[in-house]
Amino acid sequence: MLTVVKNQVKVTLLNIKYALMREMLNKTTFITNIVFMILNNACFIVQWIILYSIKDNVGGYTFKEVMLLWGIAAGTYGVSHFFFEKAYTLADTITEGKLDVFLVQPKNVLLSAITSDVKTSALGDILYGFFMCFIATLTGIQFFLFFFFCITGGIILTSFAVILGSLSFWIQKADMIADTGNGLMTNFATYPDGIFKGVVKVLLFTIVPVGFINYIPIKILVSFQLDVFLLIIVIMFFVVFLAFFIFNRGLKRYSSSNLMNARI
Amino acid sequence: MKKYVFIFKSEFMSSLQYILNVIFGFIGYAVILFVFFQLWEYLYSDPNELINGYTMSEMVWYVIITEILWSSLGGRKLCTKICNDIKSGNIAYNICKPYSYIGYVVSSHLGSIAVKTAIYFLLGMIMGFFFLGGFPKLSLISILLIAFSSILSLGISTLLILIIGLFSFFIEDAQPFYWLYSKFILIVGTLFPIEFFPKIVRPILNYSPIFAICYGPAKLFVHFDMLYALQVIGIQFIYLVVVYFICTLLYKKGVKKLNVNGG
Repeated sequence: MLTVVKNQVKVTLLNIKYALMREMLNKTTFITNIVFMILNNACFIVQWIILYSIKDNVGGYTFKEVMLLWGIAAGTYGVSHFFFEKAYTLADTITEGKLDVFLVQPKNVLLSAITSDVKTSALGDILYGFFMCFIATLTGIQFFLFFFFCITGGIILTSFAVILGSLSFWIQKADMIADTGNGLMTNFATYPDGIFKGVVKVLLFTIVPVGFINYIPIKILVSFQLDVFLLIIVIMFFVVFLAFFIFNRGLKRYSSSNLMNARI
Repeated sequence: MKKYVFIFKSEFMSSLQYILNVIFGFIGYAVILFVFFQLWEYLYSDPNELINGYTMSEMVWYVIITEILWSSLGGRKLCTKICNDIKSGNIAYNICKPYSYIGYVVSSHLGSIAVKTAIYFLLGMIMGFFFLGGFPKLSLISILLIAFSSILSLGISTLLILIIGLFSFFIEDAQPFYWLYSKFILIVGTLFPIEFFPKIVRPILNYSPIFAICYGPAKLFVHFDMLYALQVIGIQFIYLVVVYFICTLLYKKGVKKLNVNGG
């Protein structure tokens, strides 16, 4: 069992390595993509400077906490899009019959499919996340927690994208549902949860799991609570399990399109 | 001119086939509006309180109009298309056709977003009414002038994105420039009126494209004034001419550098 997991991790890392090497062929474009993504995210600091000039506290968050919220949002988005970029086009992969090429490999189909490409600019998001850490002046332990939450959040975000993408096994036009759902996560993730009320707040901690990706980690970073920390880990494993379960159920319905495809 | 009207019409007809995509796209737009409504509701302790000269209702309407103009534009798609046309050499097919590439891109893009913009306007108004319980008081002539100013805004935005896309003639991928441009418009143009920025930068913003593509039409919607409307439309016309001139210049320079290898 352990050897199987070890082999799978090795293949997954190799997948990512080769995808990254492909992206690095043109170094100027590679670096421009990363630098401009950092600048792109940094533009939003202006928005928060203006909002905090109106009120000292937005949704129960101080300026530093909002910067941390942005750091986690960028970090989780970066981890998810850099390592698992293809999870966001899974619906297209399924409907266009491009899963065939992964089915013939003696490795996990889902992992092989979602790690087959990387998004260079997502490296800029990850770096921006750490840049925000320095603005928020985190301690050593807080920095470690931040790093940890970027990974858990990235995995939950990816699992959510896989669940939405897997709907393609059952319904047509699931790509639009997936795009809308994934966009929804980003829109909510960058605003303090304190501004939302009622049903929306409940949704953010259930169906749209932004609460477990961004909001609760911020609260743990500000004041550590072991039970809530463990809850995030449990939620992460649950969402991952759900993503694999739904994908594998859907895979039984998949029929090849006889598309000739080769991975070079 | 006739050929561009034809291109506009054929793109318009084609976009009617994808109404479902537009509706799904609107969900994302509706979520952004909802987030902003919640944000401004939180920031305004009293809906009639004035922040930089705007009540809560005016602030939300301002964001609704600017977001309609920006979200319905489909700027990323347009920039990607131009970059890909240049990178892949597809632009060669357009060069040999009896129309100007700039005219083709502008008319086909405006044709493809016409239905989307109309639907966004309609649904945006419904959302605004639902959130705020009413519309700003506007006469028929003011509505027509705001609509005309919005059309000019879309034309200027399309040409500005075309300029960014044409950078691909000189660098391989101009899309990172679009990311920065879009964030500049989003933060400085759509989220806040110019009055929210420090006094030192306001004159610069008043002369920037922000005025012509976001602030002008949205300000007319929340605080309509006939004299101001004519001023906004006049500035938009000047911008349209200047931006078109830059586009033509950039295209002429860029096309000389084009190198297509068979195919």
